[in-house]
Amino acid sequence: MNAPLNALSEMQRLTSPFAESITVKQWKADNKKVIGWIYPYLPEEMIHAAGMLPFKVAGDNEPVDMQAAEANIWANTCSFIRTCWQLALDGKYDFLDGLVVATQCDQDKRLFDVWKRHKNLGFMDILYVPHKRDEEAVKLYLADLEDFRDRLSNFRTRRVVDRELSKSIEVYNRGRALMAQLYELRKRDRPPITGAEALEISKLSTRLPREQFNELMEQLLDEIQRTGREIKKSRRLMILGNDVYNTTRIAALEGLDAVVVADEFNCGIRYAWGQVATDLPPMEALARYYVLTPPAGMHHWNSDERLAFIDKMADDYRVDGVVSGILRYCTYNGWDKFDLKQQMEKRNMPLLEIDMEYGHSAGAQVKVRAEAFMEMVESRAA
Amino acid sequence: MVTADEVAQFLGMAKTHFENAPGMMKSAVGYMEMVQKYVDRIRTAKDEGKFVATHGTQQPLEIYEAMDVVGVFNEAWGVLSTKVNQNTISEAMSVSSSTGTPEGVCSFFRNMDGLLHAGKWPKTDFFIHSSAACDNVKAFHTLGRRYNIPNFGMERPYLPHTRQAMEHWKNEHRRLIAFLEEKTGKKMDYDRLKETVRLSYRLTELTLEIDKLVQHVPCPMSWEAFGGTLLAVRLLPGTQYAVDYLTKLKAELQERVNNGIGAVKDERFRVMWTSFTPFWDMGIMGFMQERYGAVSVCEMLQRWRGDGQWLLDEDDPLGNLAYRTQLAPGNCQYSSCDDWAGECIDQAVKFQADGAIFNNNFGCKQGAGAGPMVREMLMKARGVPTLSLSCDVIDPNFVSRPEVVSQLDGFFEMIESNPMYQERMAARREAKLGVPA
Repeated sequence: MNAPLNALSEMQRLTSPFAESITVKQWKADNKKVIGWIYPYLPEEMIHAAGMLPFKVAGDNEPVDMQAAEANIWANTCSFIRTCWQLALDGKYDFLDGLVVATQCDQDKRLFDVWKRHKNLGFMDILYVPHKRDEEAVKLYLADLEDFRDRLSNFRTRRVVDRELSKSIEVYNRGRALMAQLYELRKRDRPPITGAEALEISKLSTRLPREQFNELMEQLLDEIQRTGREIKKSRRLMILGNDVYNTTRIAALEGLDAVVVADEFNCGIRYAWGQVATDLPPMEALARYYVLTPPAGMHHWNSDERLAFIDKMADDYRVDGVVSGILRYCTYNGWDKFDLKQQMEKRNMPLLEIDMEYGHSAGAQVKVRAEAFMEMVESRAA
Repeated sequence: MVTADEVAQFLGMAKTHFENAPGMMKSAVGYMEMVQKYVDRIRTAKDEGKFVATHGTQQPLEIYEAMDVVGVFNEAWGVLSTKVNQNTISEAMSVSSSTGTPEGVCSFFRNMDGLLHAGKWPKTDFFIHSSAACDNVKAFHTLGRRYNIPNFGMERPYLPHTRQAMEHWKNEHRRLIAFLEEKTGKKMDYDRLKETVRLSYRLTELTLEIDKLVQHVPCPMSWEAFGGTLLAVRLLPGTQYAVDYLTKLKAELQERVNNGIGAVKDERFRVMWTSFTPFWDMGIMGFMQERYGAVSVCEMLQRWRGDGQWLLDEDDPLGNLAYRTQLAPGNCQYSSCDDWAGECIDQAVKFQADGAIFNNNFGCKQGAGAGPMVREMLMKARGVPTLSLSCDVIDPNFVSRPEVVSQLDGFFEMIESNPMYQERMAARREAKLGVPA
């Protein structure tokens, strides 16, 4: 049994309680603003450059009773959106000074509308995320980004200048590089961390000032190096689909003889991917990064790239099985199900499809399916 | 699962029914003929050597028309199919489910998925879609890959009125033409495009003129012809055929207004559909007329935004078409809730609505997020109550007629006891508008 990672424990301490943590309270006590964001296809760098704390709006490790939320957003909306709105109704996000939504899907646009109508904040913005990945899309996103910069500058009552942006790009690039290092370590035969821990780190990164997170990440990597930490499990798994914020779900999988070594989550590998160019004007560099650089996501129309990326991850991380978790009513992932299954069959990769509600932990039924799945993984490996 | 031939056969029977049924609007026959024309174009396209594009909503069909490409609107095909055979949608969707497509996505697309899998979808050379729609358009790429059908997606920004958004969207029209030119080997004839745009604009003018007639109390439009404007604008813009149909429809409505003929003898309720009409069972509208004296006066899907004047420059057909999308009927549902609700409030005023029905299509995420807000804003602004009806847009097995009826019973009773409604009715009686005492 490995000892808990001190740096991770510190991250958890600083981001507790959820969501208005001691860090948030401290930040607000310094009379600084917090801007909520949903989906990582908008540049946190811009918010950071404006001297504000970007804070990812999401749920946490507990399921939420969404009854009140359903008065404003009907139940045939995905449970991620309803969870976020319920948390807002419960006052969990009352510390936000603003909210920016990237138009990744139909449902996040509606969350934005509802939030604006019922809990309007000082700064409310919505940024179009292209579904294509080409130069025309970069041009469009760049123009929209300029408009976003104008509006955020007005909110701050001071222009967000290129110099500030360049500095923020460096800070965030450093964070991505550190997270990417951790992903590299997970390629080892015996990875130093569990999938549950890795996801916890990734999600906490969106709740801390990035400089502070970077510092803790450096400590964490150092700690791993020093302690020679190893997770001794026989089988390696990859998790796919909608972002999971309840890490107990992953821990339940890892309660079997398996460790999650890779993911293709927005809040996971995509969030750690690549670098914003530092040899381009910062706005252009941001536009090029956010449209072209992270691996294709579920919202991109052409899912060939997403499926190819999943294949590559499975190879790079030498996974024995894939667990796909799709939220009910997620249109995008829904349309990829058929091809994903075919692809996994073609490569003789065991696939466990667990479609659950956001935030729910793995119940007995899921555990039974996971055990059966692990038997399949074992037999294929044999 | 139905085929194009079965759809055509059904439309022939429906036309005969409307010809012989007493008390129906003449335009109901023309309506069936127009839809027959649409289906026949699809059925015969390949024999005539034409290319066929299956497409999503909010498409510049005037471009297809100018290039002799025959369009199959996937949503309309679902609506037509469910009329032919009540079980076809369930069957197609069960095939879709067997491929792994989840039940939570839109039935228009699940139906297409199932029919394609079963080889019953009209023969298609390419898929075309745009982001001026919903997330389900991703299916065009997914299914395109599966069935080796090339696809083209047009990207329209969420906030479409900025300078860069308008330019980008116009450019996407250029890219669509380039795609079609490449796939068909045929060059765009821009004079012909100007002509299809002109005809399309005439269609818009006619729908706006028809709106004015429908606003009369009592409402002259009866349920059997209600969908005529919707399908003319959504299926056949840029054609003389659609212009001719709406010209006749307008003349009939004018005649009915002149003679004080309403859809029902005693108009008691004027109903607006704030999402869409009951495509899964259009007979509900006729039933509402008969049982409650409730006339459908407008539908979000078929009304132009604002004044609908999208013709900006006759010499710039692409600029016109790009702007047309923003004003197009139903476009507001892909925009913010404020926009959607604002359009409904505008319609409630113009059409003097007494009540609204919001069909909450199980697979529609836009509607699931917007429905409560549209309902609330409509009530606040105009005192118009909304019945929110859980349904599937084309699957008649999702909600039964008796279930709908029981909700309608309560809804109309509730409206009747509303003092604002009573005031409106008193004013109509005062003005001798042919409403019951």
